[in-house]
Amino acid sequence: MSNQLRTPVRRRRLGALAAVVVAAAVTATGCSSGSSGQQQDESAPLEVWIRQDAGSPAAESAEALTKAFTEKSGIEAKLVAVGVNDFETKLQQRTAQKDLPDIVINDTGQLGNLVTQGLVREVDREGVAGSGDLADRAWEAAQGYDGKYYGVPFNSQAFAFLIRKDWREAVGAEVPSSWDELIQLAVTFTNEDPDGNGKNDTAGMVVPGGTTRGYLTWWFATMLWSEGGDFVRKDGDGFVAAVDDPASVKAVEKLQAMFCDSKVVQPGASTADSATTHTVFESGKGGIYLTGPYMLPRFDGSLGKEKYEVVAAPPGAGGEAAALAEGENVYLMAGSANEKGQQAFAEFAASPAGQKIGLGLDNGGIIVRLPVNTTVDGAAERKDPRWDVFQKVYDEHGRNAPALPNWATVRQISAEGLNGVVSECSRDVAGAMGELADEIDAELEKQGAAG
Amino acid sequence: MTATEARASSPKTRVRRPARPAAPVWSRLRRGATPWLFLAPALLLFLYFKFIPMAQAVRMSFEEVRPFLGNTYVGGENYAEIAGSSDFGAAVWHTVVLAVATTAGSIVLGLALALLLEGQTRALWFVRSAIFLPVVTAMAVVAEVWRVMYYPAEGGALNSVLGVLGLGPSEFLNSPDSSLASIAFVGIWRGAPYDMMIFLAGLAGVDRVLYEASAVDGASRWRRIWHVTLPGLRPVFAILLTLAAIRGLRVFTEVFLLTNGGPDGSTEVLLTLTYKLGLERNELGVAAAGTVLLFLVLLVLTVVSRLRRREVR
Repeated sequence: MSNQLRTPVRRRRLGALAAVVVAAAVTATGCSSGSSGQQQDESAPLEVWIRQDAGSPAAESAEALTKAFTEKSGIEAKLVAVGVNDFETKLQQRTAQKDLPDIVINDTGQLGNLVTQGLVREVDREGVAGSGDLADRAWEAAQGYDGKYYGVPFNSQAFAFLIRKDWREAVGAEVPSSWDELIQLAVTFTNEDPDGNGKNDTAGMVVPGGTTRGYLTWWFATMLWSEGGDFVRKDGDGFVAAVDDPASVKAVEKLQAMFCDSKVVQPGASTADSATTHTVFESGKGGIYLTGPYMLPRFDGSLGKEKYEVVAAPPGAGGEAAALAEGENVYLMAGSANEKGQQAFAEFAASPAGQKIGLGLDNGGIIVRLPVNTTVDGAAERKDPRWDVFQKVYDEHGRNAPALPNWATVRQISAEGLNGVVSECSRDVAGAMGELADEIDAELEKQGAAG
Repeated sequence: MTATEARASSPKTRVRRPARPAAPVWSRLRRGATPWLFLAPALLLFLYFKFIPMAQAVRMSFEEVRPFLGNTYVGGENYAEIAGSSDFGAAVWHTVVLAVATTAGSIVLGLALALLLEGQTRALWFVRSAIFLPVVTAMAVVAEVWRVMYYPAEGGALNSVLGVLGLGPSEFLNSPDSSLASIAFVGIWRGAPYDMMIFLAGLAGVDRVLYEASAVDGASRWRRIWHVTLPGLRPVFAILLTLAAIRGLRVFTEVFLLTNGGPDGSTEVLLTLTYKLGLERNELGVAAAGTVLLFLVLLVLTVVSRLRRREVR
């Protein structure tokens, strides 16, 4: 079936028709073809999936990476750029056919999901060539709930604030050094017409507050951790919900106030996804935007490099700065006919050569944001000190999502709970967080991760 | 009548023809098989792309689905989970509210448009086509356009209009109080022209003489609509209501694109919930149970409406 995905439409249709006719003859047999212990063939070609839109510069970089791998190893590798938005759906389809791609380069946040479904192979960290050069924090994001490794780090990133420098100077404010100052700056940006167009049309803070793919949790994690709260915390052998802890509740109250009292977020924030918020920031409607370094090239083009600055998330009430760290792993998918080839690909992708291709210096297609390989200095390669801010945030304050059996589900549940508080201003935060904590605890129980 | 005539005339023709060769069994078989052979391609496609997946969904609804590791049978657990969750109850409620509001709005507006635009002149033909345009536009496009128009601040397209009238700005999609109504409005905007077309076809079937007779009897315009037009349109209403009920219950695209169930789950409908469960939380078994429940509701609705139609006849 995998070949059909790429054949021209007419042939595909004919193929489908033929398949139907043939299959009709064997209806009774159904479609079970359980494969365990796949025959190994060290020259079998690899199918590599990456979460990038086909034809994008990022997909080109990935193409370059697979080509370089083939040249080096002699193993053929074919890249498939599966769209950003329906990657999981496409992967589910292939799962249903029990014919997975050999390599999947995807978010660290998907690890739990992939492990629970048995889609990925375990990785022997010590057995990976050059594994000592890879950052510990990046390895941590490749670790499952059971402490084993289920992927090889490929790309990492941390979030930092992009602040409109021209606006800040126009209102005569300093670079914020605490969360309260940051929120105060957002208030000023909202009320004092920093773009000077005479209209009240600027928002201080740009927030993707919708629930799609858990966006609000994504955004809020940095704030929650800085304020000393958390989504879940360690409890014995497992985890227990922490969103109803006093520090967490305080942080959520601040979040609600940003939506309801000071109204510093952009209009429509509670249903916005990141595609929307990118536009809000680059069109000059918002002043402060927490995002990853991969947005710099786009905003340099649309907004102008001189108009904004990169600022690390400041410490909050928790006393220490924290920022969400994420990244992507190379996952070695189950059922591959070339397991050695899979490992070789992962090793190459994490090697200095692979990482440098991923930086996308020539074409702007950045698939390695911050190199996971400590021997590669990304900011120096890029000759752009702003990347260094992100690198420092990652190294010093970066924090991975908790290693739950399935963080993606908890992220989704908490995004829905938080969304309720910010879109219904009259809602009592402590009560709502109590309910959310119960939901998270029930989910942890279900995942077998309750303390 | 024609059927009986044909039957009556058939013996004659048989007498006139020379005796046919034997083996009527074979030819009868062949004659019986011909329609099925013609239908076969479509039926096979339906079998493989509709019926087997449907059967699999039913099976999945009783299993914990892990496609790669193998599913495990969990009995009614998935049903208990989805039926017991408060999200599901809310989603059913939102779906029903949305279906009723969209259906009622589309029918009322569609009927009004049809009554206004009934006639033969060329200008009317043009206006009717223009009004029909939303129906032929892809829902995804419609939703995106409306999302822009609903921009919840003073600069938004609709809010500018409200501002001129001294109202607003409204939050539209962005507030739990107005989000469902905003989606229903998009549904009505898109559904009304479709209903209008069906009403126009129905209006053409209403006997003109009845209008003239009632006019002669001194009936006012409203009384004519009430006593002549509406009874004449009864079969049209039956069709529209059935279609609208089915369409309403499986509403997805506009909700998914406009709000994706938010804010605060205020627009979560059955299918967006199923989508989230299945593809965002990866609980395919529970999601399958949700769709099976939806299927059963639709099945019951369809059967009941068919039975009712038969009774009416």
